[in-house]
Amino acid sequence: MNPLELTLGIMTAVGGFVDISELVFAAKAGSQFGYALIWVFALSTIGIIVFSEMSGRVAAVAKQPVFNLMRHRLGLKLGLVTLAASIVSNLITCAAEIGGVSLILNYLTGAPYALMAVAMTAILVISIWVLPFQWIERVYGLLGLFMIVFAAALVAIHPPWSQIAGGFVPQVPAGLSTKELLTFAYFAVAIISAVMFPYEVYFYSSGGIEEGWGPKDMLTNRLTSILGMALGSLLAISILANSAQLFGPVNVDPEIPGSAALEAAIPFGKWGLILALLGMLFAVAGAAVETCMANAYSIAQFFGWVWGRHKKPWEAPRFTIAWLILFMLALAIVLTGVDVMMLVEFAVLFSILVLPLTYLPLLLLAEDKKYMRQYANGPVAKTLGWIYFAIITAAAIAAVPLFMLTSGGNG
Amino acid sequence: MRLDSPIKLVSELVDLPLLDTEGKYCGIVDDIELSGRPGQDLELKALLVGPGAYEGRMPAWLMWLIKKVAGDRVTRVTMDEVQTISSVVHLKRTGGELGLHTSETEAGRWIPHKGAL
Repeated sequence: MNPLELTLGIMTAVGGFVDISELVFAAKAGSQFGYALIWVFALSTIGIIVFSEMSGRVAAVAKQPVFNLMRHRLGLKLGLVTLAASIVSNLITCAAEIGGVSLILNYLTGAPYALMAVAMTAILVISIWVLPFQWIERVYGLLGLFMIVFAAALVAIHPPWSQIAGGFVPQVPAGLSTKELLTFAYFAVAIISAVMFPYEVYFYSSGGIEEGWGPKDMLTNRLTSILGMALGSLLAISILANSAQLFGPVNVDPEIPGSAALEAAIPFGKWGLILALLGMLFAVAGAAVETCMANAYSIAQFFGWVWGRHKKPWEAPRFTIAWLILFMLALAIVLTGVDVMMLVEFAVLFSILVLPLTYLPLLLLAEDKKYMRQYANGPVAKTLGWIYFAIITAAAIAAVPLFMLTSGGNG
Repeated sequence: MRLDSPIKLVSELVDLPLLDTEGKYCGIVDDIELSGRPGQDLELKALLVGPGAYEGRMPAWLMWLIKKVAGDRVTRVTMDEVQTISSVVHLKRTGGELGLHTSETEAGRWIPHKGAL
C-alpha cells in the first residue's frame, strides 16, 4: 500500500463527498431544525461506508462491478427494471448537479445561467475525454477540498459545541406540530437519500475495477471508504451547523444553493465566499461527472460492453457514446428551464426509491462465499448491511407520501 | 468451475459476462442452446449472445421495443470456445474472431481517435 496514493484517495473521497443535494438539504435542515438532524447525516454516512466498502471488496475479489453481477443475480427482467430506474434517478441527479454548478458559476461570473450550463457541460465532457480515470477522480475531488472552508467557518463563529455534539444522538425535537413533524421526517428521508445516492456505489466499485484493485487493496478500500466518507460527512455537517447558528435564529431559509456560501462569507468576508463557491463548484462538478459516468458504467456493464475510462474513448466506443448522450440529456433537462431546486427534490425522491433495488443484490453478492471466498461479509458487515437495507426500505416506502404531504419539504 | 463439472445451467451461466483472451468484454450470456431428446442426455451446445436471444425471456411488447431499438442479432458461441466459467465466462479466442465485437466496431466508427491522454 503506497501511503501517498492512500492519502490522495482519502482526500479525493473527502472532497468528492458533498454534492448539490447534500449542500441544499444540510443548509435547509440546519436552518429549520437546528442541530436535530445531524444524527441522520451520521447514520447515513455509516450506511454509505458499509455499502461502499462492500462494493469495493466485491470489485477487488470477484473482479466484477456491481451491475455485471446484479444482472446475474436478479435476472434479465428485474435487472432491466433496476437498470431503467437507476438510469432515470442518475439522469435527474446529473441534471441537478449541472444545474447547481451552473448557478454557482452564475454567482461567480454574472454570466447567464443557460450559457454557463452549456459551457460547464462542455468542460465536463472535455475533461472526461482528455483525462485518464484517476486524474478525473482526483482533479474534482482534490479541488473540492476548498469546501474545508465550511469547517473553518464553523470553528470561527464559536458555535455551541455541546449542542452540536448532542445533535449526533438520535432525536425528534419536542414541541413540533404535526406538519413540522412530517417535514422533519421528510428531511430525514431526503438526507438518507442524498448521502446514500446509488451512483456513489456504482462509481466507487467501477472505479475499483478501473484502478485494477485486487485482494491486496482490501485495506486501501476499507480506509478510503471509512476515512474519506466520514471526513467528507463532517463537511456536510459543518454546513448544517453553520446554517443552524447563522440562518436559523434570523429565520433565513437557504432556498438556493448559493445561500450556503454565505456561511463562509460571514466570518471570512470576500475570500471566504470565493473559497466556498470554488469548493462547491468543484464538488458539484465532480458529482456531475460521477453521476453521468455511473450511468454509463451501469448500461455498459448490464449489456456486457467494453467499458472504462482506463481505456481511450475510442477503445470503448459504446460506453463513450453512452456517457456523451447522457450528458446531452442532462443538459437538455437543465435547458428546459426547470428549477434546480425541483431537480434536487426529484433526484432525492427517485434515488431513495431505487436504493433498495441497488443495495439488495450487492448485499447478497458480498455474502456469497462462492464469489467472495474468505472475503465474504463477516458478522459485522452482514448485520450492518441488513440493518441499513431495512432502513432504506422503510425510507423508500415513506418517501412518496412524505413528499406529497409536505410539498417536498416546503410545508 | 470446470467445464465437465455439473452446473445448474440457468442460475450459473445465463446472464454472466463474457471475457475474451484480450480481457475485453464481449457481451452477456443471454440464452443457451441445448440439444437432446426424451430419454437422451441433455447437452449444452452453445451460448447465445445478443438482443435477439432475449426472445422468450421478455414480454412480447418489450421484445418488440428491444428489436426496434437494438435489433435482433444473435451470435452463437459453441461450448468448444469456452475456456472456464467463474464469475465471468472466459473464452478461448478474441471477441473479434468469434463475431462478438460487431456492434462495438460499428460504434467505433463514430468516435474520433484523438485527444485523450
